[in-house]
Amino acid sequence: MTLKGKLGWILATGFLTAGTAPGEVRFNRDIRPIFAKNCTACHGGVKEAGGISFIFRERLLVEGESGNIPVVIGKPEISEMIRRVKSKDPDELMPQPKHGPPLSSKDIATLEQWIKEGAKWEEHWAFMPPVEMEISGSKKQDWVSAPLDRHVLKGIESAGLEPSPQAGAAEWLRRVSFDLTGLPPVVEDLSSLEKEWETNGHGARERIVDKLLASPSYGERWASVWLDLARYADTTGFERDPHRDIWPWRDWVIKAFNEDKPYDQFTIEQMAGDLLPDATPDQILATAFHRNTQTNSEGGTDDEEYRVAAVIDRVSTVWTTWQATTFGCVQCHSHPYDPIAHDEFYEFMAFFNGSEDSDLGNDYPKMKTANAEWVQLDRETRAIREELDAAGRAISGVKWNNLTAPEFKPQHGTMRMDEAGLILSEGNLHNGTTHTLSGASGTFDALRLSILPKSEKPADWPEMGALVTDFRMEKISPDGKRTPIPMAEVISDHLFGPFDPVSAFANAPGGEKFKRFLNPVGGASGGIGEFPRLSGPRWFVLLPEKRVELAPGDRIEISLKQGGSANESQGTFVKKFRIETALDDHYAALRTDPERAAKWEKVFSHRDRIAAIKVTEVPVMRDRNKAAKRETRVFARGNRMNKEHLVKADVPDLLRGKFQAADADRLTMAQWLVSAENPLTARVMVNRLWMELFGTGIVESAEDFGTSGTLPSNLALLDHLALRFRNDHQWSVKKALREMVLSSTYRQASKASPALLEKDPKNRLLARGPRNRLSAEMIRDQALAVSGLLSPKVFGAPVYPPQPPGVWNSVYSGAAWNESKGEDRVRRAIYTYVKRTSGFPGFLTFDAPSRDVCSARRITSNTPLQALVTMNDPAHMEAAAAFAKGIRAHGGDLRGQLAFAVLAATQIHADEAMLSELETLYTDLEKELVNDAEARAKLGGDAAMTLTANTILNMDAALVR
Amino acid sequence: MTDLEQQIRHASLEQFTRRHFLAKCSTGLGAMWLAGLGQNAFGAGAPLVKDAARPLMPAPPMLPGKAKRVIYLHMAGAPSQHELFDYKPELKKLNGQECPQEFLEGKQFAFIQGIPKMLGPQFEFKQHGQSGAWISDRLPMLSTLADELCFIKSMHTDQFNHGPAQLLVHTGTQNPGAPSFGAWATYGLGSENQNLPGFIVLTSGGKNPDAGKSVWGSGYLPSVYQGVQCRSQGEPVLYLQNPPGVSRDIRRRSLDTLDRLNQRIVTETGDTETVTRIAQYEMAYRMQMHATDAFDLKAEDEATHTMYGTEPGKESFANNCLLARRLAERGVKFIQLFDWGWDSHGTDVNTSLQEGFTNLCTRIDRPITALLTDLKRRGLLEETLVVWGGEFGRTPMQENRGGGNNRFVGRDHNPGAFTVWMAGGGVKGGTSYGETDPIGYESIKDKVSVHDLHATMLHLLGFDHEKLSYPFQGVNQRLTNITKIGTKVVKGVLA
Repeated sequence: MTLKGKLGWILATGFLTAGTAPGEVRFNRDIRPIFAKNCTACHGGVKEAGGISFIFRERLLVEGESGNIPVVIGKPEISEMIRRVKSKDPDELMPQPKHGPPLSSKDIATLEQWIKEGAKWEEHWAFMPPVEMEISGSKKQDWVSAPLDRHVLKGIESAGLEPSPQAGAAEWLRRVSFDLTGLPPVVEDLSSLEKEWETNGHGARERIVDKLLASPSYGERWASVWLDLARYADTTGFERDPHRDIWPWRDWVIKAFNEDKPYDQFTIEQMAGDLLPDATPDQILATAFHRNTQTNSEGGTDDEEYRVAAVIDRVSTVWTTWQATTFGCVQCHSHPYDPIAHDEFYEFMAFFNGSEDSDLGNDYPKMKTANAEWVQLDRETRAIREELDAAGRAISGVKWNNLTAPEFKPQHGTMRMDEAGLILSEGNLHNGTTHTLSGASGTFDALRLSILPKSEKPADWPEMGALVTDFRMEKISPDGKRTPIPMAEVISDHLFGPFDPVSAFANAPGGEKFKRFLNPVGGASGGIGEFPRLSGPRWFVLLPEKRVELAPGDRIEISLKQGGSANESQGTFVKKFRIETALDDHYAALRTDPERAAKWEKVFSHRDRIAAIKVTEVPVMRDRNKAAKRETRVFARGNRMNKEHLVKADVPDLLRGKFQAADADRLTMAQWLVSAENPLTARVMVNRLWMELFGTGIVESAEDFGTSGTLPSNLALLDHLALRFRNDHQWSVKKALREMVLSSTYRQASKASPALLEKDPKNRLLARGPRNRLSAEMIRDQALAVSGLLSPKVFGAPVYPPQPPGVWNSVYSGAAWNESKGEDRVRRAIYTYVKRTSGFPGFLTFDAPSRDVCSARRITSNTPLQALVTMNDPAHMEAAAAFAKGIRAHGGDLRGQLAFAVLAATQIHADEAMLSELETLYTDLEKELVNDAEARAKLGGDAAMTLTANTILNMDAALVR
Repeated sequence: MTDLEQQIRHASLEQFTRRHFLAKCSTGLGAMWLAGLGQNAFGAGAPLVKDAARPLMPAPPMLPGKAKRVIYLHMAGAPSQHELFDYKPELKKLNGQECPQEFLEGKQFAFIQGIPKMLGPQFEFKQHGQSGAWISDRLPMLSTLADELCFIKSMHTDQFNHGPAQLLVHTGTQNPGAPSFGAWATYGLGSENQNLPGFIVLTSGGKNPDAGKSVWGSGYLPSVYQGVQCRSQGEPVLYLQNPPGVSRDIRRRSLDTLDRLNQRIVTETGDTETVTRIAQYEMAYRMQMHATDAFDLKAEDEATHTMYGTEPGKESFANNCLLARRLAERGVKFIQLFDWGWDSHGTDVNTSLQEGFTNLCTRIDRPITALLTDLKRRGLLEETLVVWGGEFGRTPMQENRGGGNNRFVGRDHNPGAFTVWMAGGGVKGGTSYGETDPIGYESIKDKVSVHDLHATMLHLLGFDHEKLSYPFQGVNQRLTNITKIGTKVVKGVLA
């Protein structure tokens, strides 16, 4: 059996437990690969040539467009598929000769046998639940120290290999220190471990691992992994790429890892913390995960387009991060390889489509970070406002009257009233325009402003927003005398969005008290209507402070200023509306209700208290009022401008489990992700942990477990780890990691013999230990740590370590890289400012992603530009100079100092040859520099040792773990 | 075989038997970068198999290509076709009239709202060369090379904001995250010169392009294919120079020790990545010299400086044009220039057609003319594809921001029509392809999408745009966005 064949066998064992007769064709093992290789490109989820799809079984059992049935159960001889793959006629032969070679006779025989045996279908492995498999019959049971080792050993032995010998204490300690904390070990830990390595190795290792897991550095190291997935950045992206304060969420992630928040809770809080009953400030902050999407504040960009783009990005990010399923392609058509239907993308999108955010310049909605007082005040304010509105909405049977004898004075364009009483504004409007109209009405208690979309077809909504930013009303007596009418409040059909409608009174006479409702969000700061988009017809009942008594001949004049702009440039005009008045005691009663007045007072004081809380504000998730939920429609071929039928929030049938579509929301969806029935969540997470430790995941394509991804190298191992993580470890990441790093598998030496290299060049079987390059963050952190410069300061706003001038050059942006002072220059890499359109050069060079979108895997490159960074970057030279001081401080003779340097930087006990090499380097450099005072000065005095230290930090052993 | 490749082989052979080495070659050192390996049959085309240890080794194209490299001159901000190449006497007649409603129905604008006024071409046009190409008086020097240029006047895009439109022009998709053209080109072709990056980006105008560095990113391709932004001021490549006080001899001395120490590690661990790392440090050492030399404009004679209008030590478009020639000579595959400031809205004097735009035309006229002339003189033009363009066109209406009147004369963004020209490597000079409507608002005849342009450029480089692909998100992705159906090579521009 070839190695590949054996890997296939290991995989296949996952299905043998289902109880099939030997010799029977297995769909996943035997048939699916034939389909995927030869058929689905044309007959898949995207292209269904001839009306045939090889993605769903039921589609193969019915007639295609030709009238023939591809698969007739039990009867290969009349199955069209078999006829076509065997055809001698080039016009009939499948695959068509231009698309690929004909099937081998072995493949054809397999297909025939499969049909004969009933054409049984299996879901792709990743969509079936993980199963704990019994492992027996290994020759080296004493090698096993954790259950996972049994599965690894089985794979190694099946390939005719043996595990490698145990690594030395130094090799293991370097590996585990970087893997768990992202930092090199301290020399003291090494000497104590080495003393016990042979006698009490297990106990000593446990002690080290527990210490590392308890270190605050642990959270900083693992948060880095999560920030790539969450596309965390300190800017909003696109053109100006302005600053965004969202670092408190980054700190939340670090804390969550350090507290070992169980992964199910970690998931639920980030996905839907805001929807948890009595959500805590931290749970609301957690939802900023979803607000790491980009906001486009370039002038003239369609806010709705980028709102939708952000929502779609959330969908894709959830599917990549938790389900390792390529969901993005379902936006335009059914999944090309996996059974997920086009509509199911939009059903899932509906979970996110109801959120308040809408690509506004200030990232509305935000929370005052992790502030309990704010949470309480905000919650109460919203509840009271809702009560106030509900009482107003409950009034029914009101007789509303159009203004009579209307007159219009538009500042721009034209205005007219149609026969149905609708007022239409047409023509060329300028931003900030005011519609003025007057008419007779008789005495009234309330005025109703209805704002209508231009189109009557809901599929065309939302339209450009429509917002009255300043509302004024005056009474005009026959003698021309004008009396302003002060306004008291607004009752609206639903309350949501950035503006309380009463904010439209803030600048009118007597409206001073409403100034507290102004809320600048980019393009507007208040008003009646809807902003930045109008989602459908809306109505607002405006109550004056007192009944408006009009004598015969009196008129009222209303002016509607429209000072807002959406898309960073375009006016949000009210172009189709209706104004009516009503004389109704119910409204009069509201006005005089002392309890109602008290509630308003409470709203006022709450608003003031909220304004007084001066803390960092962070964008978070908040859903629109239930009644105002956005509808979600399927986009034809993924095109937002071409909307089709309505869908309701749901998860795909393929992974439904026990999920109930009724009353589904983000919270129930989050619970479904971490439910016992979800086959992917635990597997995807343990695969990620494994990838971080071993360099490659058990599923190499960590972002794609679907048919188009790679197969697991050891499904039994993956399933064991997943079940252990979910059931035994109760989603504890620390416990899962602890078991992995204490395993025999992890403890192997990384040395690769030529024989092993030939058999398993990529170390997929793990018959040797991992030897991975340090990540971008680790390379910087190691240099700072080894040289003693590293600041232990945790958390807080991002910092600006030295960066060459001219790297930041964003358009329309005065943002500058103001180099940090003091210890902020030498903080851990995770605190470095992340600008999306211009990443920190030293990190990008070492494969850090730009954080534009979710990134599940960094592909390690090996380039000359990396050498330039670690040899020449002034920050690395500064570290080398500081390291040189530390080396000198160690004392002893030169060889002793060099031995210490190598040990500190690489944990290698330098042998005589290595020391001689370094010693010669040092003395050569000294000779070279002894007469060059200028060069010595530039290198900070101890020039030869600084350069030697820099050389040691550039050794391969210092760049890997 | 380059020196470097020989060195890597030598280093490898020292450590392993030939049999082992061949095994490594066939399976890739350390890691092969393809997730879908062995399952390549998804969709048309198959991913290229790249050796992780030598990702930039020169590779032959799939088909014979006429262009060996690209110099792409992007005028960031989108220059007005109405004031340069797309002459419309009809529009002149409509100048000052209110825009008819039919031109506004169903359109999205960045800034125009309500009813704007039509704006005729602001400058005089004349026909030039044998081909009789219409070029405005803003580019008097370039006009003399009219017969070298191949205009595509029927370009159109579906993005009308700078960031997304620039991303579309350079990556085939409007959202960040996809590889840029230069990344695809170096993925496909490798680099002729292992001592310089294969994909170099030069910016002028004081700013990076609106879409930031994503327009030269590697997207889902391995990061080694991303563009390297070089500067004409200071170090051309970040961290290229040795630290102060470190001479080239000292660096050599340190590297010798480093090589020997790393060689021991290879012996001890058998880690093939370490073999690669040794080679990369050596390459970095050579790059320090070669890149410094490539970027040394002082090495050019006075006549050349006069011809280009260059001033060594400054950041300028002229300097970048001269650098482009120097890099082309040295075998860099994709040389991307961005010149920022072409967003002529007319909101201030710098964005007015009369002043700001005119100054920019003057800024590019001489250096582009010099670049084409110089390439031709050196026999490089026929194998170098030079492309000039923006990210979209501009409206035949005058911008009326906020519904009012702008202080200066300018135009809003228009995705419906814009002009791109190409010269050199495999294109038919002295031609004009495609047409816009009588007011230059929409492309109407022989329309060319951004994806068609990409397909054509790839064709000139020797690639079938449907076959140069990379697996990501479950699909073999390509530069010509797989969701855009009907993308085609523009045969009419091929020589």
